[in-house]
Amino acid sequence: MTLTESPSLLVAGIGEMVLSSRSDSRLIAYGLGSCIALAAWDPRAKVGGLAHFMLPNGPANNASPVKFIDTGLDTFLKAMEANGAVLSRSTFKAAGAAAMLTVGGGLAIGKRNAESMETALAERGLKLAATALGGSAGRTVQLEVADGRFLIKSLSSVTEI
Amino acid sequence: MPRQDYSGPADHGNRPQGPSHVSGNHHFKGCAAMTLTLSEAGQNAVAGTFGRALKRAGEALGSMSGQVIEVQTPMVKRCSASEVMAMAGGPEAVILAVYVGITGSLQGHALLIFSPADAHRLARILLAGLLGPGELPIEEATDVLAYDELELSALQEAGNVTISTFLNELGMHLHEPVMPTPPQIVIEMAGAVLDAVLLDLVSEADQVLAAKTTFSEGGRAIDGSLFVLPRPESLQVLLEALGAIGI
Repeated sequence: MTLTESPSLLVAGIGEMVLSSRSDSRLIAYGLGSCIALAAWDPRAKVGGLAHFMLPNGPANNASPVKFIDTGLDTFLKAMEANGAVLSRSTFKAAGAAAMLTVGGGLAIGKRNAESMETALAERGLKLAATALGGSAGRTVQLEVADGRFLIKSLSSVTEI
Repeated sequence: MPRQDYSGPADHGNRPQGPSHVSGNHHFKGCAAMTLTLSEAGQNAVAGTFGRALKRAGEALGSMSGQVIEVQTPMVKRCSASEVMAMAGGPEAVILAVYVGITGSLQGHALLIFSPADAHRLARILLAGLLGPGELPIEEATDVLAYDELELSALQEAGNVTISTFLNELGMHLHEPVMPTPPQIVIEMAGAVLDAVLLDLVSEADQVLAAKTTFSEGGRAIDGSLFVLPRPESLQVLLEALGAIGI
């Protein structure tokens, strides 16, 4: 929990997810680079969730439940359902998957994350309603549980998708 | 508490881990899972070497600036991805980072990180040392995230010098060279800069070895840190070189 976190402000750290059905909740993931955040929101049940995924695939991980997309996505979706969300009527939006560094290793991870997310959702009959993926800028993202607004903040701009 | 937070606290590695990623370098054959087997003595040997190398790197920054730049006691520890973010000021903190990839007989990542304001301050100190105090253009009150060419080049060189010094110090223990990539400057949120680097390291392990030191000049801390994050299999190479295997 960071200092700025309060009952209404829930922060998804790297590899973590946060969910809420409180109308005053805002779900935040700070400083996404190559990581990818998936926001899910059920407009009827007013349930929101935000997962801060790190990598395309790997074994299930208790310490970081959404570290990997292939094993963590179901964990996240089940948690949404457990909170009363119905996946078929929920909207999904994704942001992140940028490439910050042009030298050294690990640079294609953002692109692989974006592709893995689309594929993993499609395999479950789900799709992304909006995305802010790729590029070379870091992003902080925020999901408002009351109305499903998904805000993307970079150093130079704030946009809503 | 009505909060529904499914994020677990950082787990400090009680989970059994699979074998470390082997990068294809022939030196690393048979070195799988060494992150688990690193003994306390082995860790101390690595920490001592990293600590000395960080100290040298800070001294090199001092020589470059012509000022006495003090180096805080280096810290070397095993930590989770979110702990590394916290060490850099938190994922949302805006930083100026000089990134250098480490290749050759050791592989990993190094970053010299400053707060935006102290990056300006260090750049002025370095440029005054290079050009003489009278020859600097008047400092304009501009956006703290805007740096001119001279400042960027001074900071890039600071990254180059500190990280190369660090690697040279480690290289004295190795039979084959350690090579830095050209430095790259990024001005961004710390989380965004660090996540790509961390993702490269944590795919098969939950923790990384992070080495960090901070600097001060004229009694005033420079809010800056040097981070070195070796790939897990490279620690094995270093341990072998230090003669710390099996202790």
